[in-house]
Amino acid sequence: MLSVLGALIWPLQAVLVAFGVSGLLQGQDIWKSGTVAAGFILLGLLRAVLGYAAEGQLFQAADGIVSATRARMVLRESLRAGPASQGAGGLAALAGEKLEMIVPYVTRYAPAQARVMVVPLVILALAFSMSWAVGLVLLISGPLIPVFMALVGFAAKAASERQMAEIGTLNDLLVDRLAALVDIRLLDAGDALITGFAGAAERLRAQTMAVLRVAFLSSTVLELFAAIGVAMVAVYCGFALLGALEFGAYSTPLTPFEAIFLLLLAPEFYQPLRDLSTAWHDKASALAVAAEIEALESDGADAILGTGGHSGALTGPAQIAGRGLVVQRGAQAIAYPDFDIAPGETLAIMGPSGVGKTSFLLMLAGLETPREGALTVAGHPLDAQTVDGWRARLAWVPQTPHFLNASLRHNISFGGDAPVDDALAAAAVSDVVARLPQGLNTRLGETGGGLSGGEARRVTLARAFYAAPDVLLADEPTADLDDETAALVAEGLLALAAKGAALIVATHDPALAARMDRVIRLRGH
Amino acid sequence: MRALWSIFRMIVADQRQAMLRGAVLSLTVLLAGAALLGLSGWFITAAAAAGLAGVGAVFDVFRPSAMVRFLALGRTAARYGERVLTHDATLRTLAALRVRLLGAYAAAPYDRLIRLRGAQVLNRITADVDALDGVSLRLVLPVGAGLAAQAVAFAALWWLVDLRVALWICGSFTIGAGLALILTVRAADAPSRRAERAAQAFRSRFVDLIRARTDLAIHGQLVVQQNAALAADQQRRLQSARLDRIERLAGLALNVVATLAAGGALWIGMTLAQAGSIGAPFAALGFFAALALAETIAPLRRTAADLGRMTEAAGRVKRDLHPLPQSAARISDEDFSTAETSTGLHVQALCYHRPGASLPVLDGIDLAVAPGEILAVTGQSGSGKSTLLLLLARLIAPDSGNIFVNKLALADWPESQLRANLMLVPQRAVLMAGTIHDNLALARPDLDHATAQAVLKAVALDQVIEARGGLNTRLGDGGSGLSGGEARRLVLARALLRNPAVLLLDEPTEGLDEATAKRVLTGIRAYLPDAAIITASHRPAETDWADRVLHLA
Repeated sequence: MLSVLGALIWPLQAVLVAFGVSGLLQGQDIWKSGTVAAGFILLGLLRAVLGYAAEGQLFQAADGIVSATRARMVLRESLRAGPASQGAGGLAALAGEKLEMIVPYVTRYAPAQARVMVVPLVILALAFSMSWAVGLVLLISGPLIPVFMALVGFAAKAASERQMAEIGTLNDLLVDRLAALVDIRLLDAGDALITGFAGAAERLRAQTMAVLRVAFLSSTVLELFAAIGVAMVAVYCGFALLGALEFGAYSTPLTPFEAIFLLLLAPEFYQPLRDLSTAWHDKASALAVAAEIEALESDGADAILGTGGHSGALTGPAQIAGRGLVVQRGAQAIAYPDFDIAPGETLAIMGPSGVGKTSFLLMLAGLETPREGALTVAGHPLDAQTVDGWRARLAWVPQTPHFLNASLRHNISFGGDAPVDDALAAAAVSDVVARLPQGLNTRLGETGGGLSGGEARRVTLARAFYAAPDVLLADEPTADLDDETAALVAEGLLALAAKGAALIVATHDPALAARMDRVIRLRGH
Repeated sequence: MRALWSIFRMIVADQRQAMLRGAVLSLTVLLAGAALLGLSGWFITAAAAAGLAGVGAVFDVFRPSAMVRFLALGRTAARYGERVLTHDATLRTLAALRVRLLGAYAAAPYDRLIRLRGAQVLNRITADVDALDGVSLRLVLPVGAGLAAQAVAFAALWWLVDLRVALWICGSFTIGAGLALILTVRAADAPSRRAERAAQAFRSRFVDLIRARTDLAIHGQLVVQQNAALAADQQRRLQSARLDRIERLAGLALNVVATLAAGGALWIGMTLAQAGSIGAPFAALGFFAALALAETIAPLRRTAADLGRMTEAAGRVKRDLHPLPQSAARISDEDFSTAETSTGLHVQALCYHRPGASLPVLDGIDLAVAPGEILAVTGQSGSGKSTLLLLLARLIAPDSGNIFVNKLALADWPESQLRANLMLVPQRAVLMAGTIHDNLALARPDLDHATAQAVLKAVALDQVIEARGGLNTRLGDGGSGLSGGEARRLVLARALLRNPAVLLLDEPTEGLDEATAKRVLTGIRAYLPDAAIITASHRPAETDWADRVLHLA
């Protein structure tokens, strides 16, 4: 590896310096000072360039791993069937900044580890070749370092787990309180909030300091070993040169060349070990992230059928037939009665909460895959080949709208070219949009902040109008709306049906169900 | 840069002593390092010279070797002390900064409050503030200590060795590292901004992708959104590869500077020694000191790379620390006095436009509600019921018209007094993680058991809570663990505990069945017999409860 090679240049530089200085002492002008200095500088440049190249390779490797994992996560989590594995915020944190924690592991820890395997051994061999006493000093002090580091490592792990937990608590507290800021203002509880948060922030600081103290202590001890080692080498060399110590070297007394060379090598013996200890927590956090990703990727979740992409519409009349369908939801199996839905038919799916109404709609859209039974759409079996074409003929009104972080226009047309005015008018939201600060260019809050609940629902209805579907699936379209607004939404749905679209609504609302051609009642078992 | 500087001043102002000691210790560490290696080099070379000359017996070995040991241990101890001191001081300031930020958000105007995206604010209070630890730890302290160490080293080398050696070493380090730092910061500025923006775009697109994946899949947009998220990541990747190259170039440049400084010192020293102007041991001292002084510029590499991120974070944090001032009350708490007995609420010719919208939401509203009276405001969704309540609660300001509470203009009320006299229960009122008691105590910190029980009884929740384990039952985030109807009633109970003279309710019984709704409404009236109550309502249970109905067209 390049980084090991770079580290091994130092002994060569040391040889040059030792030759130069000892030559100076002995009055032999072996090499001109210019040659020594130029050689030293050239080797130093080579070392710097090697380091540059090595780091470049490592960064690319790390970046490759991170991007590939991130792309896998984007695909996997967006195609996951059933509910999301965790909150979108948590997933985004994992796919974003947490994943980045793998980079320092690859760029710092891994090369430090490689250097630890090679560089100290080479230096040790060089030291022994000149003076067994110096070699012995290094040999004894060197291995103490990993032993001590392992001990500190245990303490560090416990402390850093506590710190992680404290970070988690602080974040949860913040998210929770931030969502309630309006209530806090109204209750005049801002001071209490801030006092509580100050306590949590102070606990986090204390935990972080605990982690840092352990880290600083470990690097201090390392430095202490290194300093004592270097000092012992220096003192030994000094005495040996003076002839005060007659042992430990093969030439008596130690030659000036050997002494200077050994002194220059000693710090480099400890350097890789110190690098490794600095990068120690990089490893810990990378392993934690890797474990989290591993857990996510091996949870055995199913993917939805198809790609969810744009596709040419499936041909054939928009009729749907289900025979013996059973959907598995956790431990619960939902068996659906057989059904046939004709093109343009309006249908309400009713039944108590949890009986599988939403699952029914999702199944018709290929987002919930039945465990048993046959589902035929427009004369084709619904499978991975046909599902995207089938979805091109559907539109969807969700129970809780989510608006993309884009203009209202984009949220209705999804980038389509046709104007959205007709769709707005059909869903009776033209006035609502006119009242918004920037009209169609407004960016709404995630769940429609800036609109009332009924208005947000009608905007999703406008989206359905814009798609001009053959089948409209609507999940509880009138829940939580007052009677007038519910009636408006129902009018909108029926207007779409009047254009020839089949309408399938999952609902608790008897008034809405009464306006459908037919009702399917689902009963638990 | 200005923002960075003001953050640093904040840290220093907060922790002057610790920072000063930390700075002294960092300087000590650097100087001890240079002295240690320089002395060792001198000692070995001098010892070798003495050995060669055969005068080893009279050479004083003890003082230098004691110095070597002292420097080695002293340096290590100073390093530990410096790290603990400066980190502790910085973390203390950052903890205080987080608290101040949250305070600024809590005091932000209403229209900003509802548009706060939780993830963004969380980023600001956590990630951005974390990035600021570099301001003292990786920017000001290392640069300052490094410069000071170079200055001291210059003086020492001049005195001990030679002016030319001193000039070369300190000149090449300061000029070389300074140039490298400036160039790097310039080059890294744009890519680090872009990388940060791309990372935020990825986050927001990814969150959309996960939250809206059902909608997106059915509308055939899932692949488009996946690609949008991945495109943001590609952009981030491109920028961070660029940043990485700049950072590596900075590292390369700093290594080259260190090599040139040491190699040059060796050459000048050897030449001088050969000419006989200085002794060989002092030539070695210069070279070894130059090697050790590389430590003064080593931390600059990360400084240069992080500076862009730090500057951005400092800018954002500073901006959010100074939110737009609220419409400040004209009377301070001390000077405030109001009639002992409530006279209710009066509104004259109230008009309100949403900012930028062409049609007014409310146009010339007049109303009066006496103590003990209930007014129901009705109208379709979007007719302005909720907006009217927000105006009355002074969360937003009207375009024109007057509102009086207890005959005092609403705008004149000090915040704390207003909140003690007037309470709004918004449509989307939320609970918090904690016990039921914690949630109620938010409204009244000195809450006792009997009062809590009484208010729960008023909203027909006492038996439900009892069945769930009493007042100490813990709720999850956002009060999860209660059903929608139970949460609504707990929010109402919390409002009643404020004992307001004016109570504003936005669809108070949403999610409750008819019978419970009636019990709760009766309970509210009984609990606050003298309050003036306005309720924005559509269900008959609520409008029947009211004494009068105002219909908004």
